[in-house]
Amino acid sequence: MDMNAVEAENLTVLYGGQPALEGLTFNVEEGKTMLLLGPNGAGKTTLLRTIAALHSEYSGKLLVFGEPPHKARDLISYVPQSHSLNERVPLTAMEVVAMGSIYRESFLHFRIPTSAMDKAKEVLGFVGLAGMENRLFRELSGGQKQRVLLARALMSDPRLLLLDEPLSALDPSARVEVTAVLSKIKRERGLTMIITTHDINPLLEIGDRVMLINKRLIEFGKPEEVLRDDVVKSVYGPLARAVKVEGKLFCITGDAHIYHRREEM
Amino acid sequence: MIPEYILRAILASIAVSVLLGLLSPIINMKGLAFLTHATFHSLLFGAVLGMVFGLILENLSLVMIVALIVTIIVVVLIAELEKKGFSSDSAVGIVASFVAGLTVLSFGVLYKVMASRPYFPLSENIVSYLTGEIFLITLNDLLTLVVGGIVAFFIMLLLYRDFLYLSFDPEGLESYGGNSRAYLMILYVLVGGIGALIVKTVGLITLQVVAVLPGAIALMMSSDIRKILGVSLFLTLGVELSSVVLAYFTGIPPSGLATIMLGVIYGVLLSRR
Ligand SMILES: Nc1ncnc2c1ncn2[C@@H]1O[C@H](COP(=O)(O)OP(=O)(O)O)[C@@H](O)[C@H]1O
Ligand SMILES: [Mg+2]
Repeated sequence: MDMNAVEAENLTVLYGGQPALEGLTFNVEEGKTMLLLGPNGAGKTTLLRTIAALHSEYSGKLLVFGEPPHKARDLISYVPQSHSLNERVPLTAMEVVAMGSIYRESFLHFRIPTSAMDKAKEVLGFVGLAGMENRLFRELSGGQKQRVLLARALMSDPRLLLLDEPLSALDPSARVEVTAVLSKIKRERGLTMIITTHDINPLLEIGDRVMLINKRLIEFGKPEEVLRDDVVKSVYGPLARAVKVEGKLFCITGDAHIYHRREEM
Repeated sequence: MIPEYILRAILASIAVSVLLGLLSPIINMKGLAFLTHATFHSLLFGAVLGMVFGLILENLSLVMIVALIVTIIVVVLIAELEKKGFSSDSAVGIVASFVAGLTVLSFGVLYKVMASRPYFPLSENIVSYLTGEIFLITLNDLLTLVVGGIVAFFIMLLLYRDFLYLSFDPEGLESYGGNSRAYLMILYVLVGGIGALIVKTVGLITLQVVAVLPGAIALMMSSDIRKILGVSLFLTLGVELSSVVLAYFTGIPPSGLATIMLGVIYGVLLSRR
């Protein structure tokens, strides 16, 4: 399994001619999980959307399973940041999940086919939400919503999952809950994942690679190679730091003020 | 015997209610009230332009066609601007201001044309586009409304789930293999087309209210999509029909009555929250 799920060489992504990302070179091997880090506006979402073929203004080389992104679409599932969802639409968990496959299966979608409903039940079970099919999406907890979105992403049996800040806007226990599902996906399905995050610590367990970007590539490699104090500081400012506690790596970025408060106590 | 014009008015109300009853929840969920507004103003521009052509070419059935064409051009323009990266509100704002200017200009032209033709039928026609003249609906108008309405109805029904997904998560829809842009375009054209079909019965001034409030009310009353559609349809139908009946007895313009009824229901619901 030496195949690269994603291969980028000198990738520059633009909006209306203005570069948002410049000269990225990296690859993600199949089955690995890459954590994508960077401050706000660094271009994390832009990179995911470009890989997902949702944005096509780029130059340089970008291959997904050896093909240009738009040809690999059926192999990719993209999970947008949950705050971009319009919850005025009262969809049930089942309806949200079904969205993940019906467009690839049939032309008309007035009714959800039974096969899709069965599959939706199965993946909802996989993410630990069995029996929640008919609950309204908007009435679920943050962690449950994120798990429904993961279930939706699994509907089409993809080989690459792109997750945009799956942990943001979640409280610590919900973060653990979602991370557990991500780790189950990695373990049991062997999917390649690219996950953007602000809080890297809960994800370090499943991250095989870390990529730090800020419009350009800052560092790329194994977590312990990338998350060095000097690197983290150069991206997130002087208050950020990388520390090792009992052999475990921790990275303090946006939450530096908490660190200070602790010292005062 | 019920007079024929009342029967026509009732049939027209039913057609209007079914169309708006279905469309209104989508307008609310997708947040299209502003777009609806702009669309309906372009209908006025289209109607005035159509009347200018109609008078010059002595064929007033052009009014509806020109209004429809202009409106569809306008919604397509708005959708194209959105594709270019403008937010929905700015796209609507840009196009709407042009349309408003053009409307004023076209009124000037219309008055000139009217002045050059002292004798022409239906002189108050442009006012009827503003206030709605459900009692003056001709058999031809009714036929257009019903046939066009049936087409719009089936398109809407077949694509209803797609419109829900489009409103919920357009990027997700796109990435899971749906064509968000196509659905958005169809939805906008539906809003414009349905507006053009029913503008003469409901009137521009109140179209906005009748297209938005039933859905807003239904969304306040339920979280189940079938119930929402039921409430919205039932409400529009009830209000439209009762306003026709009331108008028949009181002589008050029906679209005015319908709007006030909807406003009262919405107000009461809001205040009881
Ligand atoms: N649709 C867009 N049009 C123009 N510029 C955009 C668009 N989306 C993002 N950008 C710009 O691209 C840069 C990267 O944004 P983004 O990928 O959202 O960053 P991140 O997800 O890391 O916070 C920002 O400067 C942002 O303003
Ligand atoms: Mg982002």
